[in-house]
Amino acid sequence: MELNICHLYPDILNLYGDRGNVLCLRKRLLWRGIDANVEEVSIGQKLEASKYDLLFIGGGQDFEQEVLLPDLRGEKTQELISAIDDGLPVLAICGGYQMLGQYYKTWDGVQCDFTGALNLYTVGSKQRMIGNYMYTCDELGTTVVGFENHSGKTYLGDGVKPIGKVMAGFGNNGEDGFEGARYKNVFATYSHGCLLPKNPQVADFMLKTALERKYGAMELKPLDNSLETAAHDYMQKRLSEK
Amino acid sequence: MWYNCGMKIKVFFAVLACKCCRSLIRLLGRGGTDFPGRVALKICPNLLGYLAKDVTTVIVTGTNGKTTTSRMIEQSWTDAGISFFANKSGANLLSGVTAEFAVHSTMTGKCRYTHALIESDEAAFKAISKFVDAKAVVVTNVFRDQLDRYGEVTHTLENIRIGIENSKNATLCVNADDSLCTSLHDMLPNPVVFFGVDTPIYHDRVEELSDAPYCIRCKHEYVYDYVTYGHLGGYRCPNCGYCRPQPQVHVTKVLTTDDEHSEVIFEESGRQVPASIHLPGGYNIYNACACMAAASVMGIDMELAAKSLSSFACGFGRMEKFQIHDTDVRMILIKNPAGCNQVLNFLTQRTEPFVFAACLNDRAQDGKDVSWIWDVDFERLTAMEGVLSDIYVSGVRADDMALRFLYAGFPKERIHVQKDYAQLMEEATSQKLPVFVMPTYTAMLALRGTIAKRYGYKEFWQ
Repeated sequence: MELNICHLYPDILNLYGDRGNVLCLRKRLLWRGIDANVEEVSIGQKLEASKYDLLFIGGGQDFEQEVLLPDLRGEKTQELISAIDDGLPVLAICGGYQMLGQYYKTWDGVQCDFTGALNLYTVGSKQRMIGNYMYTCDELGTTVVGFENHSGKTYLGDGVKPIGKVMAGFGNNGEDGFEGARYKNVFATYSHGCLLPKNPQVADFMLKTALERKYGAMELKPLDNSLETAAHDYMQKRLSEK
Repeated sequence: MWYNCGMKIKVFFAVLACKCCRSLIRLLGRGGTDFPGRVALKICPNLLGYLAKDVTTVIVTGTNGKTTTSRMIEQSWTDAGISFFANKSGANLLSGVTAEFAVHSTMTGKCRYTHALIESDEAAFKAISKFVDAKAVVVTNVFRDQLDRYGEVTHTLENIRIGIENSKNATLCVNADDSLCTSLHDMLPNPVVFFGVDTPIYHDRVEELSDAPYCIRCKHEYVYDYVTYGHLGGYRCPNCGYCRPQPQVHVTKVLTTDDEHSEVIFEESGRQVPASIHLPGGYNIYNACACMAAASVMGIDMELAAKSLSSFACGFGRMEKFQIHDTDVRMILIKNPAGCNQVLNFLTQRTEPFVFAACLNDRAQDGKDVSWIWDVDFERLTAMEGVLSDIYVSGVRADDMALRFLYAGFPKERIHVQKDYAQLMEEATSQKLPVFVMPTYTAMLALRGTIAKRYGYKEFWQ
């Protein structure tokens, strides 16, 4: 068995540690004897989304995100929209999450159009939402811990569900108490941290979804998650005590 | 007249309060430098401006290498017979800098020295420069740093730009190999001495993400003739022509680098001088180069400044050496991915077995977001089969650090989580192999405290 993973804009959307997610996916496949082929697609390269079983998009600094927008529009946007509707598992973090939405409007009213693959939009605010945070993921029966750092407030439209409720921190917009977006097999969140290594259930959920879509129903071989759980539980405890 | 009199009284009480607080804190056995300054500023908000007005001041700022560069400059000033004080012990915020000026002044606010060397946090530089009319401003580099504290690199750059804008009479010493830094020259009229390294430093570098792959002027991707590390090197933009300026003070050759030194050739105005830099690591070649540029602005002879580089001692967690149970322990402070990767560039040259320890804290001064450890090429370290014996992880976020090494492919049974610093030093030195400890800032303070107490080393303020 093998999974073909696409890392979109790895050289631009690489804010603090997001590439650790790809590393985590790869390792958790290899530890189970499943091959992982990671392909990087960046500016000027064609995205053939149907070649992949899983796609990852990270977050970037404002300056770099501006660099890639002209490239994202057009062909790549069409590919993303149809692949997502076709059920491609996508993990998107922070800036990548926002880019799956319809647009980003800065606090002073300038609108920047994104892919519109998901029915959600983001509005910039002057306040930055920064810190360790934690939210529920009922679907997986667990809590997710991570680090958020965004000034954009994201609002979900019809057909898109949040991942869960914020237990500590801000989440999507610091107002409605929800975090992240779920749509078909898309899992989008503000969580750096980096996300997957200390939330192994989320990592395995992405892998299982991708593997089952390709090979049919299966159970993943269990792994020793002692270090992963220690890191998760430490932060969960710390945020619960606040 | 009344105003003047009032000002003098305020200065008197502010300086008095500052000196008293500082003495008291030291009596209590602590090394705080921030609080006395805050007290003084409460009494006299313009205190720094008053104290600094007749002092020839050089400010060192930038993301990485401020402290080491300052220590190098300090040595060259001492050797050149300049009367000066410097803000040691990492007091580099507005309050800390004010306190340093106050304790080096008489009660009437007259400085006991003609010169001051001030290391300044790039964010605090903006504030400090309103009060201090610097003769020179040294900008070491701009890297992606603790995002939760400083924001994006362009934000850091903007802080430095504003600081320089306040420093109308300053000559700038700017890293020519850093495309972010050199853009300052575009925006500001100050005279500049560029410094840089003309050749690659390492044969084989760790894999790094560039913090500035796209042209700051036109957003086109840069082309590099060579890279020294990170985004530093011989860059040029094929679209708009923005490129590395020819540095006036530069390293033309890196002859050798080992565990203790780097031997290089400096050149300025056609004159070549060899130097032995008394600190390992390629990034310290840049720090030395920044020091040479500052020496040039101060009119210190090149040969004398080069000689100072071989005799200076840095300490305070910057490649600092300790002996514990007859084992060599080197402490190397880390702050961000760029700095950490440079430590790995140094460590991965080793061929002799060693033990590695990483202490990760996430307090404000460390950066609250520890995600950056995933951007560091630890894979290169964990691949040192037969050389790297064991990895110890410690600090508040030891578990995150352990995970990083696990996912970098290091065997789980050789990753040891030890959150107690005293125990950590005992275990890490038990194998009688050299130990390299890599702490973040507050972990470094705590670790040095433990080492001082248990093994009889001096605390930093002594």
